[in-house]
Amino acid sequence: MASTVVKGALKAIREKGFGTFLRELREEGYTKCLLDGNLLQTKIHNIGATLVGVDKFGNKYYQRLEDMQYGRHRWVEYAEKGRYNASQVPPEWHGWLHFITDHTGDELLMLKPKRYGAEHKENLSGEGEEYIYHSKGHALNPGQKDWTRYQPWQPAKSE
Amino acid sequence: MGLGLLASRVLRPQTNPRNLLLLRSIVTKPELQSPEASAAAAAPDPTSDLPPRTPVAGARVHFPNPDDAIEVFVDGYPVKIPKGMTVLQACEVAGVDIPRFCYHSRLSIAGNCRMCLVEVEKSPKPVASCAMPALPGMKIKTDTPVAKKAREGVMEFLLMNHPLDCPICDQGGECDLQDQSMAFGSDRGRFTEMKRSVVDKNLGPLVKTVMTRCIQCTRCVRFATEIAGVQDLGMLGRGSGEEIGTYVEKLMTSELSGNVIDICPVGALTSKPFAFKARNWELKGTESIDVTDAVGSNIRIDSRGPEVMRVVPRLNEDINEEWISDKTRFFYDGLKRQRLNDPMIRGADGLFKAVSWRDALAVVAEVIHQVKPEEIVGVAGKLSDAESMMALKDFLNKMGSNNVWCEGNGPTPNADLRSEYIMNTSISGLENADVFLLVGTQPRVEAAMVNARICKTVRASNAKVGYIGPPTDFNYDCEHLGTGPQTLVEIAEGRHPFFSTILNAKSPAIIVGAGIFERTDKDAIFSTVEAIAKKGNVVRPDWNGFNVLLLNAAQAAALDLGLVPESGNSLESAKFVYLMGSDDVNLDKLPKDAFVVYQGHHGDHGVYHANVILPAAAFTEKEGTYENTEGCAQQTLPAVPTVGDARDDWKIVRALSEVAGVRLPYDTIGAVRSRIRNVAPNLLNLDEREPATFGASLKPEGTQNVSSTPFKAAIENFYMTDPVTKASKIMAQCSALLLKK
Repeated sequence: MASTVVKGALKAIREKGFGTFLRELREEGYTKCLLDGNLLQTKIHNIGATLVGVDKFGNKYYQRLEDMQYGRHRWVEYAEKGRYNASQVPPEWHGWLHFITDHTGDELLMLKPKRYGAEHKENLSGEGEEYIYHSKGHALNPGQKDWTRYQPWQPAKSE
Repeated sequence: MGLGLLASRVLRPQTNPRNLLLLRSIVTKPELQSPEASAAAAAPDPTSDLPPRTPVAGARVHFPNPDDAIEVFVDGYPVKIPKGMTVLQACEVAGVDIPRFCYHSRLSIAGNCRMCLVEVEKSPKPVASCAMPALPGMKIKTDTPVAKKAREGVMEFLLMNHPLDCPICDQGGECDLQDQSMAFGSDRGRFTEMKRSVVDKNLGPLVKTVMTRCIQCTRCVRFATEIAGVQDLGMLGRGSGEEIGTYVEKLMTSELSGNVIDICPVGALTSKPFAFKARNWELKGTESIDVTDAVGSNIRIDSRGPEVMRVVPRLNEDINEEWISDKTRFFYDGLKRQRLNDPMIRGADGLFKAVSWRDALAVVAEVIHQVKPEEIVGVAGKLSDAESMMALKDFLNKMGSNNVWCEGNGPTPNADLRSEYIMNTSISGLENADVFLLVGTQPRVEAAMVNARICKTVRASNAKVGYIGPPTDFNYDCEHLGTGPQTLVEIAEGRHPFFSTILNAKSPAIIVGAGIFERTDKDAIFSTVEAIAKKGNVVRPDWNGFNVLLLNAAQAAALDLGLVPESGNSLESAKFVYLMGSDDVNLDKLPKDAFVVYQGHHGDHGVYHANVILPAAAFTEKEGTYENTEGCAQQTLPAVPTVGDARDDWKIVRALSEVAGVRLPYDTIGAVRSRIRNVAPNLLNLDEREPATFGASLKPEGTQNVSSTPFKAAIENFYMTDPVTKASKIMAQCSALLLKK
């Protein structure tokens, strides 16, 4: 297996040149693999797996049916290599990824209602208060104090 | 071994020598010999093994004549009730709640909804219990299959033409039909045709109608004729074309029209201002007192969060029974408009600027020390509670001034004799009167609930009503005797035919309006009325028929606390005026350089004269004691938080006194009340009417003569009398639509 990796790398260097190869290596997150074991393991898993689809955020969905423990045979490689989390998976792929359905996200996307289907947003908890929704009465809502339930008397008006 | 043998061995008693003493010998008794006696002994007493039941809603029976008591049986329970009670009332005493729609204890009996059907022994058909008088020995059965089937059938007929719109109906959650269909209805309907629909009626800005929901119980028709005294509503058509309506399109002009919302058992009549605003289960109820007139009706303030959503009546047999006037019920949107929420100071350019409490109080305290004590004047407003008036009087007295009064009490109020300013007969006592003499008062606009009592009395006992004052409309038969005090003098001298009416009456009642307080010849009028009272035997040990009908919630408490100005025209020389929610005091004669402090909750007339504004809490936001016109002290409770930076009235005066260096010795409302205990202990006797101790006979003879000026109407617009109602949009609509002449 290791020889396949080396052969593939050499082939890529030959075809694209060393600079391009290094840039692609960085973009694909291989440089981060050294520090991030999860990512390294995903990359190792990816070897020999089939790419089932890519969603609109760039997350890649893999499946490998042979030589795999059942229940571990579908996984995602997040587009975001640094701060990835499970909420980055859009709902159409969620079902496929968690073995709820065998339909891929691309198939389910065709069922999505056009008029009121909301865009998926990842959960930004912990990313900073400005990303989080606060109701209008919440202490962290900047516009919270500009409404009253009563109408005050206006002093400028004269009799 | 057989099973039976085994069982008998187990069950056979062990022959224990100790148990031998307990063995009984078999004897025969005479009652066992005759079969009748044994049957009587065997039949258990039907009452003994039934668990005791309590009457519905704590209903109590009053026996006017003990000989008239009869006994009926409700589901086997014997109940003693006075003769003349209906079967439904007997069931209530027995603790059985009979479902009903058309029956209402304060209205006449219609018997047209048929929901109260019960089975009576030896009667071929189920009987409508609300209309059937109970007879001695009647055996009433309320939970037999016949009664259940009858109710289910009635409910099916009612629901046939009732729309299934509970999710969009304002009555949802407090609907009699909803509740009773859950309890007594069938779980399916057999109706497959079209439901009937009825055109909605326009009854004015207060009552919203969805007439398709009406089940023709006619409660509203009976209420309008019997309680409100107006012939506005009626029943049109027959059968499925039956409709409640006004026949020709017209608005309901009664001042009690809001009560039809409460008595309507379905969502046909609902509150228009409250429509689609809230659900009744979201609301928090606070039991409070109404302050828009001097009656002090008991109300429940329903609030959601910081908003008052609606006002509904509370039962008080002595004051408002279970009704309230439209002003009380619908003024609440005024609490959300024109509110003063920040302390403000008028700058040199004549414009107000919001400041902090510290600055505002410092300015007032500085100015009050620069003027002479006799130039300080304090006026309490119509909505002031007793605690704040006490604090204001104490504060100004400490500053050296004694010119404190409450508006509406006139320039020279008589606070010495309590019987001279309260209703001595009491509101419920008016029901016993047989002749009324109304002097310069129009109870219909001044105190709608008192008027409802008079109306009730007139309807019940044909009491005669005589009226002296400007022409006005009454909702009962009334003799207009004259317009001015001259007629009063004629009656006092016995020259008027009405004098003999008073003389022949068993319990005559004279009601003097508080509008007379503003007249210069007020003392003369009062002594004339007292002359009538003396000659007509109106005030006796067993009956006191001399009444003063006050106009504002604060008046009685102010007079009890002694808020009497030293001189009648102190405003003309005042340099410092403290207006505590007072908007109707005439400030035209005030010197231009006078410093005016306005403490209150609404931006009304008084604010425009003010130099400093101190925002205070409205009565829905504070705990305060109010005394009503019959001398009954009652308390409001805070239902919602105060707006903005506003504070309780007495706390503002207390804080100001500290800044001014004459600290008042109370820090809690309890301490203020113990100060009130020294001045007017009756104000702490809550919910109990305190009659006046001394009669008017102690009063010195007046030498004044009555003037010939006719009496004026004390209130021009029923719907707008105080700052809160003047700020209310609903009240503005009402006065625009309903007061059209």
